[in-house]
Amino acid sequence: MIKIRQFIHSFGWPRIIIGLFLLSLFIIAPFVGVKISTSLSDTLIRFGMNGVMVLAMVPMIHSGCGLNFGLPLGIIAGLLGGTLSIQFGFTGGTSFLMAIILATPFGILFGWGYGKLLNRVKGGEMMIATYVGFSSVAFMCMMWLLLPYNHPTMVWGYTGSGLRTTISTEGFYLHALNNFLQFRIGEKFLFPTGMILFFALMAFLVWAFLHTKTGTAMTAVGSNPVFARASGINIDRTRTMSVIMSTWLGAIGILVYQQSFGFIQLYMGPFYMALPAVSAILIGGASVNKASIANVVIGTFLFQGILTMTPSVMNSIIHTDMSEVIRIVVSNGMILYALTRKAEVSR
Amino acid sequence: MSKLRETKGQKLFNVIEKNAVPILFIIICAIGIPFSGYSLNYLGQEIITRIGRNSFLIIALLIPIMAGMGLNFGMTLGAMAGQIGLIFITDWKIGGIPGMILAMIISTPISAILGWMCGKILNMAKGREMVTSYIIGFFINGVYQLIVLYGMGPVIPIKDPALVLPRGYGIRNTVNLIGIRRSMDNVLAIRIFGLSIPVLTLVVIAMLCFFIIWFKKTKLGQDMRAVGQDMEVARAAGIKVEHTRIVSIVISTILAGYGMIIYLQNMGTLNTYNSHMQIGMFSIAALLVGGATVNKASIGNVFLGVTLFHVMFIVSPMAGKNLIGQAQLGEFFRVFVSYGVITLALVLYEIRKRRARYKTGRLLAQDQADMKEVDV
Amino acid sequence: MKKVHLSRRHLYQLIAVVVVLLIGVIMFVIGKQHIFLLDNKTLESNGKTYPAFSIVEVQVNRIESLELGPRDRDRADVRGQKHKITVRYTDRSFEEHEVVVKFKVPLSQEMVLISLPALVGGAEESVWLQPYEIPVLLTMPVDDEPIITDEIMPMDI
Repeated sequence: MIKIRQFIHSFGWPRIIIGLFLLSLFIIAPFVGVKISTSLSDTLIRFGMNGVMVLAMVPMIHSGCGLNFGLPLGIIAGLLGGTLSIQFGFTGGTSFLMAIILATPFGILFGWGYGKLLNRVKGGEMMIATYVGFSSVAFMCMMWLLLPYNHPTMVWGYTGSGLRTTISTEGFYLHALNNFLQFRIGEKFLFPTGMILFFALMAFLVWAFLHTKTGTAMTAVGSNPVFARASGINIDRTRTMSVIMSTWLGAIGILVYQQSFGFIQLYMGPFYMALPAVSAILIGGASVNKASIANVVIGTFLFQGILTMTPSVMNSIIHTDMSEVIRIVVSNGMILYALTRKAEVSR
Repeated sequence: MSKLRETKGQKLFNVIEKNAVPILFIIICAIGIPFSGYSLNYLGQEIITRIGRNSFLIIALLIPIMAGMGLNFGMTLGAMAGQIGLIFITDWKIGGIPGMILAMIISTPISAILGWMCGKILNMAKGREMVTSYIIGFFINGVYQLIVLYGMGPVIPIKDPALVLPRGYGIRNTVNLIGIRRSMDNVLAIRIFGLSIPVLTLVVIAMLCFFIIWFKKTKLGQDMRAVGQDMEVARAAGIKVEHTRIVSIVISTILAGYGMIIYLQNMGTLNTYNSHMQIGMFSIAALLVGGATVNKASIGNVFLGVTLFHVMFIVSPMAGKNLIGQAQLGEFFRVFVSYGVITLALVLYEIRKRRARYKTGRLLAQDQADMKEVDV
Repeated sequence: MKKVHLSRRHLYQLIAVVVVLLIGVIMFVIGKQHIFLLDNKTLESNGKTYPAFSIVEVQVNRIESLELGPRDRDRADVRGQKHKITVRYTDRSFEEHEVVVKFKVPLSQEMVLISLPALVGGAEESVWLQPYEIPVLLTMPVDDEPIITDEIMPMDI
């Protein structure tokens, strides 16, 4: 009994409720005519799409920079990489590779500036990160209009300048990862092998990095800055590095998302992309200053599972789509829960 | 303690740095106004309208700042409560000033409950009130949508077919507030130099200003200031810190609800699902433009802020069109500036906090050096 | 049994709540909107005929007066329950008349139809003041599904 109570305490009520909710959705699904195989396949695809962006939370949480509400900045680096790759005329799988390569310098540059800024505002990172994300999106709104892109598939037809709001990735890197080694089980179940493998690779890289000397230093900075300073770690440098990593992962994350989704969403598109990623990792069991790869995997699966299952199941039961409202309440409720936990506040 | 000796250059730098945001905005406006091509009369009218429309909401932000809780992003809660009041009076067909008062009466308990909840949660998240109140806004927005989009109709009776969606439940995307439209602005409205001035609205705002000034001097107001200065010292002095903080948020939320009703009577239409989300951001941006900081804001900041922020807001699309040939660029620009100014203010606040610590250190060093000289 | 302690403070709070509720009720009553449909149509009732005016000027409370030809119908939006209608018309012998009628509208009736000929002709109030319901077909459902979202496009305030 005590063990159960301890488990509940360490896992947290909200997570258990969310887990049970998802479980009940899966149980109800066959009775209301929703195919489990389709849902499971959709969940897996969405898991692959969003996984890397959730992974982008990990380095910053480790170094004590809090939740990366500034994810849109990384996304912008990814958008720049993607659009430049198309602009330079790469097609097919190459364009995806080139997009990653082109996004990297932007990711590093943005992350470096963002990290320097966050070093000057220790203690208030999360709020400032949120607004750094917002203002960079708004700034790029102007830039998308002004930058000299001229590839015919990307710019507005009638003026010949200014990028479109949504750009199709068809013919470029659409399903570059999805189709890699993809296989079917039965009629409805599709397994996006390439995307899952890519996520696994990224997760492994992050995991391996966190176990190198620099990686452990990062964890030390996050968990005990005084001790870290005493043992001769350059705190600011380590933090900047974690922010660069997070930003770069955000850039890669959005590219993975786009290759599956099929569209590049510019302008206000990246505006609210941080919140789902933040709540996903929190649902997985992370807190404001502790996160692991397992949290990412569990959290993304649970969160995306709810997102795929609620619309179809709810629709079949009460003929209304309440999924959006449920998403808003669940994701923000989860963030709220994490922000208010006493144990983690006093570190 | 003695004063820190500084060179003239340092002093000037301090003054400029302290007022960096308003100065920046004055420059933006000074450049933007000629390029927009708007007449001063038009701009004057717009500014007066917008002062009447937005000031009340912005003043609602002052009390939590006083209590050291930062910018109350949770003011959206009050805005939602105000909107629920307006939906009810529109359904009941109550118009004019009585309608507004009734909407305020309906919004008050809702605001109070939401504000109390928000205060409770913020007490659990000391030190990161702003990001928490920001997320609370989103969270309650979900609950608000649940009530307004699914609850209104079957659970909460709303009869008017002009309000309810064709499917039979939920409120429409836009609600026409014809019954109370401009009802407050038009009372006692006068025209001076061709500008129409909503006297009653301005009188109400002035009354709120006096209330704030008076409130600062009450026991509760003093307590709040003490809590804002230092929570532990205040606690030692026997002030109920948690309670005081909750009260400050409750007052702010209730005022925000009233402010939203005043705002919407001027607009005349309610965007059921996004009016409240935008208003928090714009109110905070306007207050910061007026030179307020996260821990210090006055009524002067409110009015300077409304004026400068809205001049920028009105001017930028046309200025963008005339400068670069794209009005959309101007629109993006003003969105960028709104967010940018909040970012800048937050960053400056954190940096200043650090510098204040550094300054105290230097002062200490200086005092010690002086002591040594005396010793010699 | 626990004794309920009613201090002075609680009493004041209770009074304050009651006063606010009372103000709410008063606001409800004086702020209630009604729509008057002013009708200048020949009306037959109880075997009596009230012929339409060739032209008639009507003023509700202090709102700008309206002019109605035969078979015309216009509307006036009012608040509250007590109202005054002033009707000015010229009869067949070209004499000007002014009729002032004060009356009350039931709180629940949102739209009333007022027959001016009957009003001037001295009919019962139930004849010239009738509740009016909008025919259901007139309010055709307009299809506008709301965009349910937590996203803001801060483009205008």
